[in-house]
Amino acid sequence: MSISVSVNDNTNTVTIAIVGSFDFSLFNDFRAAYSNLTKFYALYVIDMSTVEYLDSAALGMLLSMRNAIEQDSSIQLKGANAFIKNILMISRFDKRFDIQ
Amino acid sequence: MKLLCVDSEPVYREIISLCAEKEHVMVKTVASYDEAITAFIEYVPDMVTLDVIIKGGSGFDLVKQLKILSGNRFVPMIFLASHTTDSVMDKCFKAGADDFIPKPFNEVLFNIRLKTHMRHVELMKEMYRKNKALTYYQTMIEREHEMAHHVLDHIQTRSEKNSGQVAITRLSAASFNGDLALVKTRSDGARLVFVGDFTGHGLPASIGALPVMQAFFDAVDDLLDIDQLAIKINRILFGILPDYMFCAGYLILITQTGELAYWGGGMPNAFIRRLDGSFDYLCSNHMPLGILPTREFDADLQFNRLHFGDTLIIVSDGVLELKNDQNEMLGDSKVKELIAHYYAEEDLLLAQQLTENKLSEYRGESVQLDDITLVALRSACLQ
Repeated sequence: MSISVSVNDNTNTVTIAIVGSFDFSLFNDFRAAYSNLTKFYALYVIDMSTVEYLDSAALGMLLSMRNAIEQDSSIQLKGANAFIKNILMISRFDKRFDIQ
Repeated sequence: MKLLCVDSEPVYREIISLCAEKEHVMVKTVASYDEAITAFIEYVPDMVTLDVIIKGGSGFDLVKQLKILSGNRFVPMIFLASHTTDSVMDKCFKAGADDFIPKPFNEVLFNIRLKTHMRHVELMKEMYRKNKALTYYQTMIEREHEMAHHVLDHIQTRSEKNSGQVAITRLSAASFNGDLALVKTRSDGARLVFVGDFTGHGLPASIGALPVMQAFFDAVDDLLDIDQLAIKINRILFGILPDYMFCAGYLILITQTGELAYWGGGMPNAFIRRLDGSFDYLCSNHMPLGILPTREFDADLQFNRLHFGDTLIIVSDGVLELKNDQNEMLGDSKVKELIAHYYAEEDLLLAQQLTENKLSEYRGESVQLDDITLVALRSACLQ
C-alpha cells in the first residue's frame, strides 16, 4: 500500500505517509485517507519523505483535500525532496499549505 | 456449470453423472464420437470427460476437435481411461487434454479434480469478462484522447501562423496532456501570448481549453489588459473545473517596441535568450489559474523587455521531463544549453527546427510520454 494513515488523538494530528509516485493512480486512496476519519483534526501532516515523483494531478488532489477539511485545520507538507519542493513552490502552494 | 460426459460404457456414464450431480453440475451423456461433437456444439458444456476409446472414433482426435471448437473458451478436457500406460497418457496430453484419471477411479479423487477444474473455469470466465471490460475502457479512452487532440487542433488553427517572429511547436504524444499555446497579434500591433498546461490527461484536460480560447481571442479583439484577462480566465476556470483541476500558464503581452508584461502561475521558468547569449527569465509567482476565488486572486504583473534579436522561449514540462533511453530526464540546465546554442540562429523557424531535431535525437528510441510544447518569440522591433 503506498498510503498509510496514522492518527494521534493526543496531539490532534493525522499523518498521511505516501510512498513512491504521488500521481493520479492514488486519487481514490488519497481521498479516502482523509475523508474516512471520524472527525476533523487540527493538523494534517502529509509525509512526502519517500515520494519520488509528483505530478500535477497530485497537486490537484492536495487542493481538493484543502477544500474538504475545515479551514481552521492546517496541512503540513513535510519532507519533500528538492525536485518536489520546487514543483510546490512554482505553484505557490505555500499560500495554502505549510511547506516544511 | 455443465459437463459433457463422453463414454461408450453405460456404467461409467452413470457413475460420472452421479458424482458430478452431487457437485450440482448438470450432466449430458453421450456414447459416440459424432454424438459428442453434436452435443458439444448444441449443449455448450463448461467441461468434458472422455475416454481414449470411443465408439466411432478415437479420444485423441475428439479432444483435438473439441479444443478447436472451443475457440477462445477454456473448456477443460478430462480423460477417464482404462489404458493407463505412459505413452497413452502422453498422447492424451499432447492431443490437448487438461487432466487424466485412470479407470476404475476413486470417487473422492474424481470429485476433487472436478472441483478444481470448475474453479479454473470460473477463473477463466472472470478473467475473460474483466479483459473484455478493460478492452472496452481502453478503446473508449483512446477515443477520448483522439477527441481531445481534435478539439485542441481546432483551437490551435486560430492561433497565429508561424513566422520570423513566432514559432509554435507541438509534438503530440499518444495521450493529450493538456498543453495549450495561443499567439495572436492585436490591432495595435502588440502580440498576446497564452501558454498553458491543464492538469490531467485526455478529454478532462481539454475541457477548460475551449472557454480559455474564447476569452483569449475576445481579449485580442477588445485590447483587454492582461491582468484583466488573467482575472477573467481564472474566474471561468474556477467556475467550471472541479477543485482538483487547474491550469498553469503564462499570459504575455509584447508590444511592437519589445515591452513585455506578463502574468505567470505554476509554470517552469521561461527563458529569454539575449542576442549576446546571456539569459534572463520569466518566473511564475502566482498559483495556477482556476484555484483561487476572484477575491483572493492576485493579478499582479511582472515586466521585462525584448531587444532586437532576443528570443523568448517557453517550454512545457514535457520538454524538461523528456526522457532518453537511459530513462534520464532532460532537465533545466540541458534545456538551457540547447537554447543557448540553437537560438543563436538568425532564422527563428530554422532555430526551432534544429531544437526539435535535437529533442527527438535526445529521446532516441524511448517513448514520448507527454505532449511537448515549445513556443519561441522574437520582438518585431527594429527588424
